[in-house]
Amino acid sequence: MQYLVDLVVSGIAVGAIYGLVAMGFALIYKATGLVNFAQGEMAMVIAYIAWTIAGTVPGHPWLVVGGALVAALLLGLVIERLIMRPMLGEPVFATVMVTIALAVILRSLVLLVWDPYPHALDIGVGRDVIHFGGTGVRSAQVAVMATLLATCAVMWAFFRFSRIGKAMRAVAADERTAQLMGISAARIHAVAWVGSSLIAGIAGIFFALIYDVSPNLYHVGLKAFPATILGGLDSVLGSGLSGVVLGVAENLAGGYLAPSLKEITGFAVIIAVLMVRPFGLFGEREIERV
Amino acid sequence: MVSRLAIILAVGLFAATAAKADQGITDTEILLGEVEPLTGPPALLGVAYNVGTKMAVAEANAAGGVAGRKLRVIVEDDGYVAARTIQSVKKLIDVDKVFALTSLSGSNGVAALPVVEKAGIPTMASIAPITPLYQPPRKNVFVVGQSYEEGMYQLVRYLARKHPGAKWGILTQNDDYGVALRAGFSHALKDGGINVVFEGEYKKGQQDFSSDILRARQAGTEVFMAGGVLAETVAMVREFEKLNSKPAIGMFWPGRVPVTLKLMGPAGEGIYAVDYVETDDSAAVKAFVERAKALVSEGEVKAINRYSLASYASTKVLIEAMRRCAKTLTWACTIAELEKTKGFETAVMGPISFGPGVRFSSQAVRIMRGDAASLTYKVTD
Repeated sequence: MQYLVDLVVSGIAVGAIYGLVAMGFALIYKATGLVNFAQGEMAMVIAYIAWTIAGTVPGHPWLVVGGALVAALLLGLVIERLIMRPMLGEPVFATVMVTIALAVILRSLVLLVWDPYPHALDIGVGRDVIHFGGTGVRSAQVAVMATLLATCAVMWAFFRFSRIGKAMRAVAADERTAQLMGISAARIHAVAWVGSSLIAGIAGIFFALIYDVSPNLYHVGLKAFPATILGGLDSVLGSGLSGVVLGVAENLAGGYLAPSLKEITGFAVIIAVLMVRPFGLFGEREIERV
Repeated sequence: MVSRLAIILAVGLFAATAAKADQGITDTEILLGEVEPLTGPPALLGVAYNVGTKMAVAEANAAGGVAGRKLRVIVEDDGYVAARTIQSVKKLIDVDKVFALTSLSGSNGVAALPVVEKAGIPTMASIAPITPLYQPPRKNVFVVGQSYEEGMYQLVRYLARKHPGAKWGILTQNDDYGVALRAGFSHALKDGGINVVFEGEYKKGQQDFSSDILRARQAGTEVFMAGGVLAETVAMVREFEKLNSKPAIGMFWPGRVPVTLKLMGPAGEGIYAVDYVETDDSAAVKAFVERAKALVSEGEVKAINRYSLASYASTKVLIEAMRRCAKTLTWACTIAELEKTKGFETAVMGPISFGPGVRFSSQAVRIMRGDAASLTYKVTD
């Protein structure tokens, strides 16, 4: 029983990171109808920025997190304003290709600015091990689980109560009509990119705390994308939850079947779910797939 | 008339062959070429390897070069992609017209072997000494190092002696590197005395090892072979730390670099490693680093790791063979002199030898243990 609990807890922890990145995918899709294939790379760049700040001003964890999140905000704004906005009105395929190009550029940027070596993100907290009964987890893993819950709550409140959140839902439902009602689609897109970049940044920082900062960090985007498909491309909360589902499924497959099955479990779950619900567990039925 | 024509043809043919063999040589300079990953995560080994080559070349030039000619190295980055390795090797041979190759990149260099073999250019391939690089032996390709299979075999036998009757676990990557490690492990199993309770493979690029290590602990693993490259090994060790489980852990030389111990933190204390180059705290390596400060840039000194030592030794052997040819420097002479290499000392690893039909130096390995405080590895008893 302890073994099962350990597998599930570890699965939730890694799934929480997938969930956060997946929420970023879904947020952009919901507002713009685009799949941003640079989501993992954005998480990686923010993690590197956090590592740089941590090395520059050691002993100030809140400064590291705050600085990295400001950088995430700016990164989202810059990408939207300089790269994505000029693509407004262009075919979806061309715009998606731009996000793929952005991913490649960000990966190269990391190697140009930093180096190819793995580094530990040491901010003085997050690496210590906490024991709950017989289960050991790192404090950063507890924090990422709590952060996923908090982010889900914030996103729910954002879409439910805030003016911009409602406008985003309107744009997602029918962009032309929303514009006729006086909603600025460009502004909504900017908010989505900033929000997505912030969530990616949070995921990147947690990933770096739990594992390390390296040019391979962007792989987390590839692992999280199935969670977005599973939850529904336009379902921000569903994507977050699906990340946890995938993390647990991966760990159970690796723990009970074979370690080599772990990496394909997410995709197997997707195939099974999409055969029954092609729009994902929580997605809208009318979604056009890319 | 016919015999005169035959003589002219023979002389012409000889001249053409001689000219081809002498490519990359001018009155003042000899060009060498090197292919390695300088970008992407494998740059950790490629950049360090290049520093070792630069050191060997700089020392040779400081000592007068080869027969009065200075050595110069042209470096190509293949990003550890086989197609780019082939392209880079072709460029170095056909466009840059280098005299010899000091590196054929890592295991992906196997893809470029037909090109190198057809050209006949003297080649050192010592980043990743995998069996297909030297078995079957190719006339012009020489490998300094030890096979992953033999390294794993020696490490497992050592740990089996230290932990008799222990339960063993092994986790390896699902590629040629993992295949080589598993082959060495299987070889050691045949000697008996090893009870394997956990055996697994992971997909290259995997970052979370929680379920794998939970499974290993659940099976009661007391000795664990971490078959990762670098970040994977670190992740495995830290998972054991999280579970408060303390098996004896063995790892392999691609991960035997200071950054690994730094990333592991206290969990890396006492980790077992195997390697054929000298340890960081040895007098030879300390002297190597001191010399490097005068010969390469500050950034390059920081990049020095075990791959720099491997490259240094490999390039020294090549330069020594070229020196022995001196004024009659040709491909044929260099290959013949490389083949005659016997007990060549480089200080950074054991004596290097090749021989007729022997293109692999088969260096002796040593078992080491990680020291988390000094971020170095020390030779064990």
